[in-house]
Amino acid sequence: MDDVPSSEEETSDIDTGSWSDDEDMPAPQALYTILSEKDIKDRQAEAIDNVWTVLSVSKTDAGILLRHFKWSVSRVNDAWFADEARVRETVGLIEWSVEGDAYDGANKLTCWICFDTLPREDMKAPVCRHYFCESCWTGYIHTAINDGPGCLTLRCPHSTCSAAVGEDMVLSLASEEDAQKYHRYLLRSYVEDNRKVKWCPAPGCEFAVELIPGSTVYDVTCKCGHQFCWNCLEEAHRPVDCDTVAKWILKNSAESENMNWILANSKPCPKCKRPIEKNQGCMHMSCTPPCKYEFCWLCLGAWSEHGERTGGFYACNRYEIAKQEGVYDEAERRREMAKNSLEKYTHYYERWATNESSRVKAKEDLIKLEKEKIEDLSNKQCQPVSQLKFVADAMAQVVECRRVLKWTYAYGYYLKVEEQGKRDFFEYLQGEAEHGLERLQECAEKDLKDFLQADGPKSNFNEFRTKLAGLTSVTRIYFQNLVRALENGLSDVDPAPSPSRSGSSKGIGSSKLTVSKSLNGSRRGSASGSASRRTGGGDEPEYWTCGRCTYGNPMAAEVCDMCQNVRGL
Amino acid sequence: MSGIARGRLAEERKSWRKNHPFGFVARPQNLQDGTVDLMNWQCSLPGKVGTDWEGGFYPLMLHFSEDYPSKPPKCKFPAGFFHPNVYPSGTVCLSILNEDSGWRPAITVKQILVGIQELLDAPNPADPAQTDAYTLYIQDVEEYRRRVRVQAKQYPPP
Repeated sequence: MDDVPSSEEETSDIDTGSWSDDEDMPAPQALYTILSEKDIKDRQAEAIDNVWTVLSVSKTDAGILLRHFKWSVSRVNDAWFADEARVRETVGLIEWSVEGDAYDGANKLTCWICFDTLPREDMKAPVCRHYFCESCWTGYIHTAINDGPGCLTLRCPHSTCSAAVGEDMVLSLASEEDAQKYHRYLLRSYVEDNRKVKWCPAPGCEFAVELIPGSTVYDVTCKCGHQFCWNCLEEAHRPVDCDTVAKWILKNSAESENMNWILANSKPCPKCKRPIEKNQGCMHMSCTPPCKYEFCWLCLGAWSEHGERTGGFYACNRYEIAKQEGVYDEAERRREMAKNSLEKYTHYYERWATNESSRVKAKEDLIKLEKEKIEDLSNKQCQPVSQLKFVADAMAQVVECRRVLKWTYAYGYYLKVEEQGKRDFFEYLQGEAEHGLERLQECAEKDLKDFLQADGPKSNFNEFRTKLAGLTSVTRIYFQNLVRALENGLSDVDPAPSPSRSGSSKGIGSSKLTVSKSLNGSRRGSASGSASRRTGGGDEPEYWTCGRCTYGNPMAAEVCDMCQNVRGL
Repeated sequence: MSGIARGRLAEERKSWRKNHPFGFVARPQNLQDGTVDLMNWQCSLPGKVGTDWEGGFYPLMLHFSEDYPSKPPKCKFPAGFFHPNVYPSGTVCLSILNEDSGWRPAITVKQILVGIQELLDAPNPADPAQTDAYTLYIQDVEEYRRRVRVQAKQYPPP
């Protein structure tokens, strides 16, 4: 099982904390644990051990209790010690009574499912002593298992009995195949009932990811290599938020006709978000197991809050009021607007898609590089492979940058038209990001080619190393800060539309200057790990800020490192 | 349990013939070629004495699937039947007939029919299935009762 430190290691290649030197908080990062199937089983066994030792119930009963209380040992304990009888009744744990059953003494019993009369030893009963024949039990269990995860809360087949049928009985009567399914549901229940754990959405991946409370970021990297957003399960999409991503993906969906139908004819369950089509019946909706959430179709509020007070079951007052207030028109209006902006959409979509294909290409190149080219380069330039990690680092950075850049187009698409100041600034930052990335990629691809095609070791290889490593770290920091600035909603920009205020000095009001400082971080910081942008307490700046791109350059440089703009222009 | 549907239904039929509640009818449908279709039962249940339903003998079809008794039968009154918990199609909405929650394989035909008879005069307003009867039941009980009595006359004793 992974613990926290090792999961940090998972993300360390995009971790920013140790690099950036600014006064801001340390870079936010996702804290999570990756669970394999075995880890989950271990945790389940541990929870069951915990419960049965404390409560003195059988292991099967402990399993029933834990499944009901979503695998939380503390919730089981709290509920049990608060009111044991009630818990027993809810989950169907009937206490074995010493008194005999109604069939005492009878050698032959009638099965109340098939009405066959059979010898008692061919019949089976749960603790409630309702006897049914083995073949009826097998059929009952087979049907339940093939109906889905509801089989984990199976009850006695008797018409008025609520006794739970536990794991041991189910498994003793299920076929090999059904038993496997049952085990599968059992395993899945740990993840699917638990709000802190989710399956990795990559096809065929069997890991689950547990988010550790306090994690402020949702982007996680599974052991299978898939990077995804833990919250919405789409691919990792910082700096864009989940709602925007959902909107964007819906928009891009090739099956948009399909989605339009789903939007028009279904509503998502307010709890589990599965789309539900209502084809008949009342407004009282019950989602299918395991969710089972009960809600009102009209206002999507919890059914428990409904009744006569809210206008009965056919007219939901909550819905009527909200509709009058215009809450439900909002979605309609947005849809209408999106329709009218196809052109704008195409602009952003093309760029989003181009960056995605560049990312895919860069990732393929990275794999190829690590597989073949590094060896090649090592031989040609007489450098040990261990000294060539900077090339792979650069390519990995390109991949990450393409991913971020891609999502900035979704971000830009949803940026409000009214906020001209933000728009201008955003487009500027995006342009710079594109520019910086192009420089890095050119160096990583074109310059590298020269060294690969060379006949022998080249004298300027060390220069190449310095240049590429430098570009990698500069670009990394720029993008990290870009992500943070966008996540903050470009809060440094005044809401007023005043795009041309760059001239002022380091005053508080100078939005551009403030942001550019945090965007570029400090080159010194990236080169030597020093923690300050200025010397000691003195006011003498160590860097000059480029008037064109706002990059912070060393005082010695006469030309901007980023955009080659001459100092003072 | 698959495959036992017919066997169980034959037993249900036997036990019904031996003993069934007064006024109730339940028999497998006769097909045109003279054979008996055990999977579809024609039933009739009397309105309870002393209620607005009294005097009516309400026809009900029970449609059993091959999954019976793992899955409940579908119980249908004639389409348009006036009752808050009956869908416009005639299908009865009752907890014990819900395969996700209330249904148990040991529930017998007798229990189903008696359960539906109970439901007639004791509708469950928390689970309405049609607008017509439900709104009247909630808003105008007198009119609701009148409609029930009119309906009882539509289904006279056999």
